[in-house]
Amino acid sequence: MAAADYRELSLNGLWKNNPAIVQLLGLCPLLAVTGSVVNALGLAAATTLVLLCSNTAVSLIRNVVSDAVRLPVFVMIIAAAVTCIELLMQAFTYELYQILGIFLPLITTNCVILGRADAYASKNPLPLAMCDGLMMGLGFGIILVLLGALRELLGTGALFANMDLLFGPAAADWKVVLVEDYQAFLLAILPPGAFIFTGLLIAGKNLIDRQIKRRQDARKAQPVKGAKRVRVTGTIS
Amino acid sequence: MLGQSISRNSLLLGVFAVITTLLIAGTYLLTRDRIAAAQRQAEEKALLEIVPDERHDNNMLDDTLAIPPGELGLKQPRSAYIARRGRQAAAVILPVTAPDGYSGAIDLIVGVNRDGTVAGVRVLNHRETPGLGDKVDLNKSDWVLGFDGRSLDDPSVERWAVKKDGGAFDQFTGATITPRAVVTATRGALEYARTRHGELFADGPDTATQPAPADSGAH
Amino acid sequence: MALLRVTSPHAHGPMSTPRVMQQVLLATLPGIAVLTHFFGFGTLVNIVWGGLLAVAFEALALKLRGRELGIYLRDCSALVTAVLLGIAMPPYSPWWLIGVGMASAILLAKHLYGGLGYNPFNPAMVGYVVLLISFPVQMTSWEAPRGIGEVPGLLDALRACFTPGAFDGVTAATPLDVLKQNNSLLVDNLWASQPVFGRWGGLGWEWANIAFLAGGAWLLYRRIFTWHAPLAFLAVLALMAALFYDGGSSASGGSPLFHLLSGATMFGAFFIVTDPVTSAVSVRGRLVYGALAGLLVYLIRVWGNYPDAVAFAVLIMNFAAPFIDHYTQPRTYGHRKPQRSGGDE
Repeated sequence: MAAADYRELSLNGLWKNNPAIVQLLGLCPLLAVTGSVVNALGLAAATTLVLLCSNTAVSLIRNVVSDAVRLPVFVMIIAAAVTCIELLMQAFTYELYQILGIFLPLITTNCVILGRADAYASKNPLPLAMCDGLMMGLGFGIILVLLGALRELLGTGALFANMDLLFGPAAADWKVVLVEDYQAFLLAILPPGAFIFTGLLIAGKNLIDRQIKRRQDARKAQPVKGAKRVRVTGTIS
Repeated sequence: MLGQSISRNSLLLGVFAVITTLLIAGTYLLTRDRIAAAQRQAEEKALLEIVPDERHDNNMLDDTLAIPPGELGLKQPRSAYIARRGRQAAAVILPVTAPDGYSGAIDLIVGVNRDGTVAGVRVLNHRETPGLGDKVDLNKSDWVLGFDGRSLDDPSVERWAVKKDGGAFDQFTGATITPRAVVTATRGALEYARTRHGELFADGPDTATQPAPADSGAH
Repeated sequence: MALLRVTSPHAHGPMSTPRVMQQVLLATLPGIAVLTHFFGFGTLVNIVWGGLLAVAFEALALKLRGRELGIYLRDCSALVTAVLLGIAMPPYSPWWLIGVGMASAILLAKHLYGGLGYNPFNPAMVGYVVLLISFPVQMTSWEAPRGIGEVPGLLDALRACFTPGAFDGVTAATPLDVLKQNNSLLVDNLWASQPVFGRWGGLGWEWANIAFLAGGAWLLYRRIFTWHAPLAFLAVLALMAALFYDGGSSASGGSPLFHLLSGATMFGAFFIVTDPVTSAVSVRGRLVYGALAGLLVYLIRVWGNYPDAVAFAVLIMNFAAPFIDHYTQPRTYGHRKPQRSGGDE
């Protein structure tokens, strides 16, 4: 369990195998609740917490549960974690709970969670499983919040409105108006905006990957001094 | 061999079912009271925006009057909330449905003061076009605040309409139907409050012994 | 969208893409002239400013995609998109509104999907819908037509575009809007009380529609497209209007003539529904495509959330075009239709 393992896990969750923009899992909540930063952050936190809990629990019991019943057990664990977190949000952030509505209980059906439980946590020791859950959750959450910020900014000209729903009355004035008198670009906060901006985020990620690859290839392709040509096609000039 | 594995697996599933159920039950018990309180607070919030705390000393959620469907455009029975100071009713918050929005019904609450003026209007539920009709929502525009303090004498009944129809109320840019629906519904609520004044603003039960939450468990 | 491989024989026309595009541009002229007469220079400013932006965005996209500028710019397709969107937008739109529209049309609807020929949605209509749902106030305020208000001059038109705010035009609700806002009058009374209605389909609007019909008829004569989609579109729209018109009250949707000559009907029928890239390919397919678009226009106009509906209807049908093609694919000569349940056809 070298540090390299953790680095690999983080890189996977946050970038290479990002649940939202590479695996394209959990798109339904991703599209539905990212109209503002506060909504996105609420769902991101809930999802990350569920992932962390379920990965932890699944890893702990991985040697007890037989293959035949492992899926029903995992589902029970996930459903219990989701229900508990839903109750907690209802108690402490009631208005946000109402805004997120059906998408909180639906975390249960987010494929990322059962996927990580079965594919990773059930085969790996506790610390690694926890790290994986956290990083996958963060990877999903960061995209959620990024999309929320993008859409809120373009759609309203401000950021961090209504943060008091999540952080209590002290956060009521966190709202930052970036453009005064902004001509709201409503498309961004309406449902089609979710699709368009998710697409653009995926495209942006692919573009960065391609740049990185091109740079690596360029480095590799640098001619080694004294190398011999093995085969030549065409004319030698 | 098979039987053994089946019973072992069933036992395992049973154990996990019990553990997870206990976990949920525990969380439920711990959060139950807080959730109930948060729920009430959220329900009360809209009411308190119309009739703030300093204008009444009762709990509006517990002091209700059932309004049958058919009245005020309602499709389902809903409750009017009464704000009292001592025994006297200071204001009544009426549930109203405007049936003729641009895309379907608009649910409102209209607060009417004892003297017949508007205490406040809030839109609870609507499906109006984003950017056009949705300006009746206080989150989008403060147009609904224009009703505050108005009454059936100010402006006169026939001028309770949007400017386009010769009335006294501004429609907002780009929309006519939605503000028209809300103005008409608000006027309807004021007329209702005027004809039913005696019933709506009747004195409450004698609560000389502190205005404790009434026991009318309407909720 | 190139999903369907049409079997031979392929017809070869002498006309290249630039030639077709130029003729389409030419055919819009009568409509633009009428719009300019009734609403002033706003539409022209829309088109010129929009055209400049569209070509600039097209060049930018081509450069980013590493394509040769010359060939692709010369096909005039960006210009056609700009003209169509410029006509569809309200006159006296501010410069930034036109900019957002052109960027959505050229960058989002066209080049993100691979450029001309690969775009599943009509770029001008994507631009229009993006603007309509994002800036509904600006997109639904039309200048009052000549005869009701004073029509602004060229200088006012330029000022309206480039220093928005300084210009304060007289706007009037469009006939479709007015009809929708009223449901308590008899149509005759409504017509009499509101000068915007003109004779059949709205002051100015009826002549603009007739002009676009004339342009469309010329394109038909030049065989730029066939009659199937536009005719099916207009026929179904008229049929729906006739079915739901109760002859009197303004609560119903308006007469067939009103629907044919109001809003963007003729413009849509001959310049949007006929888009070769985004509509159905086969003859039967084009009939189905046009008919369903006409049906949707009526449904959205009368029961929808926005006043006019051509753009929404066309985009929804763009979605359906590959599906329609799949089921209306013509039989290859000499081959029998695969037998399904015994019946042929």
